[in-house]
Amino acid sequence: MTRRRGALYVTGLATVMLVASACSMLKSESAGGGGTAATSMTAPGGGDWTTYHGTYQSWHYSPLTEINTDNVKRLKVAWVHHPGRSTRGLQSTPLVADGVLYYTGSYSRVWALDAATGKPIWSYFPKLNDDLVAAQTHSPYTRGIAIGMGKVYVGTVDGRLIALDMKTGQPAWDTKLVNSEKLTVGFTGAPLFVKDKVIIGSQGGEWPGRGPIFGVDAASGRKVWEFFTVAGTEESKKTWGGESWKTGGGGGWMAGGYDPETNTVWWGTGNPAPLYDWAGSDWKTAGPRPGDNLFTTSVIALDPDNGRLKFYHQELPHDAWDFDSAVGEFVMLDRDGKKLVVHPNKGGHVFVYDRKDASIVNVWQLAQNINFVKGIDPKTGALIGRRDLPLGKHTNLCPAIAGGMSWNSGAYSPKTGLYYKIGQEWCMDLEVIKTTPVLEPQAQLDIGANFTLRNPEGGKAHGHLSGRDPVTGTKKWEVTFPEPPLASLLATGGNLVFVPDPRGVLHAYNAETGQELWSHNNGIGHNGGIISYSAKGKQYIAVATGWGSLVGDEFGALFGEPYKSMPKDAGALVVFTLE
Amino acid sequence: MRRILIVSTAATLIAAVVSAQQRPQPQSAAVPAPADAAEGARLFATTCGFCHQDGGRVAGRGPKLAGTDRPDEYLLNRIRLGKDGAMPAYGRAFNEAQLRSLLAYIRSLKDDAR
Repeated sequence: MTRRRGALYVTGLATVMLVASACSMLKSESAGGGGTAATSMTAPGGGDWTTYHGTYQSWHYSPLTEINTDNVKRLKVAWVHHPGRSTRGLQSTPLVADGVLYYTGSYSRVWALDAATGKPIWSYFPKLNDDLVAAQTHSPYTRGIAIGMGKVYVGTVDGRLIALDMKTGQPAWDTKLVNSEKLTVGFTGAPLFVKDKVIIGSQGGEWPGRGPIFGVDAASGRKVWEFFTVAGTEESKKTWGGESWKTGGGGGWMAGGYDPETNTVWWGTGNPAPLYDWAGSDWKTAGPRPGDNLFTTSVIALDPDNGRLKFYHQELPHDAWDFDSAVGEFVMLDRDGKKLVVHPNKGGHVFVYDRKDASIVNVWQLAQNINFVKGIDPKTGALIGRRDLPLGKHTNLCPAIAGGMSWNSGAYSPKTGLYYKIGQEWCMDLEVIKTTPVLEPQAQLDIGANFTLRNPEGGKAHGHLSGRDPVTGTKKWEVTFPEPPLASLLATGGNLVFVPDPRGVLHAYNAETGQELWSHNNGIGHNGGIISYSAKGKQYIAVATGWGSLVGDEFGALFGEPYKSMPKDAGALVVFTLE
Repeated sequence: MRRILIVSTAATLIAAVVSAQQRPQPQSAAVPAPADAAEGARLFATTCGFCHQDGGRVAGRGPKLAGTDRPDEYLLNRIRLGKDGAMPAYGRAFNEAQLRSLLAYIRSLKDDAR
């Protein structure tokens, strides 16, 4: 950092270009927060947590071993931070670099804290457009940040991307990217820092826009590229009948992953709008959006330098169920000489791709109650026996709109070779109805149905955590929960898996066996991230608490207490260490 | 110079009017707009059914609306202004006729005590 900061004072174009080139070589290596050596974003190592999914490999894994299966029962609260105004709970994942913890609260409030003590270093509360905050379904979520080149990057629900100086919290730039006044969407997900760019995707799905993903110059805040997840290429526009591409939805509302070996950003996209399609099985030629609807409900591979599409795979052609691909992590693994990426889809299947071209290696089923398709071909990824839903009433569609998996992330441990992921079991009845989106400005959603969540036939709605082979899906162990946990998971080098549950209990399991070793009641549900890091020579576990989201809000009606009376305006960051 | 001032003043007035139109209006217009329950049902399935389940007939993410004893103005203002952290404000998006149609749809729902 010192070297780069010093270089800024050097004048002369040639010198600046030379320094810029040198910086470029360092950027992918380091968060660039302080004076200490790089904490790699490319692979786990050291005690920091410098990008939303832990590293570019998206393992949500810390190699730290101080807290382990032998001593986890001595885990105690080290410190707590209350950010205030935790409307709909804390949903974000903190980052840590060089002894400083950075995290966001609701309304894109950013905090920098001493990672060992929780003592505030600086805070930044952006001035938001209150009318737009009030008009949005997902407001005021902020699910994470990115760091790099000495800055913290945060998106806002009124369509801006803001860069803050990591040391002072002072704004470096503030770039308006989305016309939120018209589109009534902005940013809720974390950005991804890659080389010299900050990449962030807008909200989308059943919001009738075109769901762009942006590449922004990290130094200046200048927008460098914009990729539309709806009809982003001329070829893909042909997969939308008539003018339907203009209101197609899409979006890329969660942070993706990055493969430095091929310089490829992997990103998941949202579902099309309207969410349900009254054309039923005639969807190829009729209805509100005839065709495959590229690039919705897809994984897309972009060049981070220019935003050009390299390749893609559409997980659900013409998604008619809201089982989008924006959810989840891109777990990058090497197996038998192949470079793979594992990506969960909201519908309850896990896709395994070859990283060179997104060709299918395998598809396996995680959620048990699935009937929107009879299956997915594990060799080709083709949907088998899809259940399209024409105008009228339908019963027992599984999974429910909340999905077989939610948006928060699972974890992978290179020690056990297991992938840890939550599955959700619930279904719903619905009536598909013809709708017309309200535009200029958008009235938020274009759903196309009324629905009611319900128990699966012959059972009760519930959730489960399992440890599986990430490529084959072979299950080694499973733990069931009366209600699906919605927060992200954490795996550690101490052979532990941490699961923050919706009732408010944080559990630690033996990563090899699934045996519960420790738990602690945080007093309110979890719906955000969890990380581990090292500060001043000690290992810590930090978890976001707080309840309230489109999925979580369902729990009161479906499960009763404690959710009916659980506050939706509270939440804190709770940090643990060994006593 | 005078022409510039006139243009500037006009632009300011237009901007003020546009700004006022974009903001939620807490009170209904003096002349009630025609209500159309069928149009309200379509609008409801477009934007409201995500939270108010089974078309507002049962409690879900949002409260049950069938048989609600809330007065008309309360419901209209709730749709216009939303509820912090729970329901979006639709005052910028729906016109008075659409709001009245949504109200007519809600009032048409049978309360079968589900």
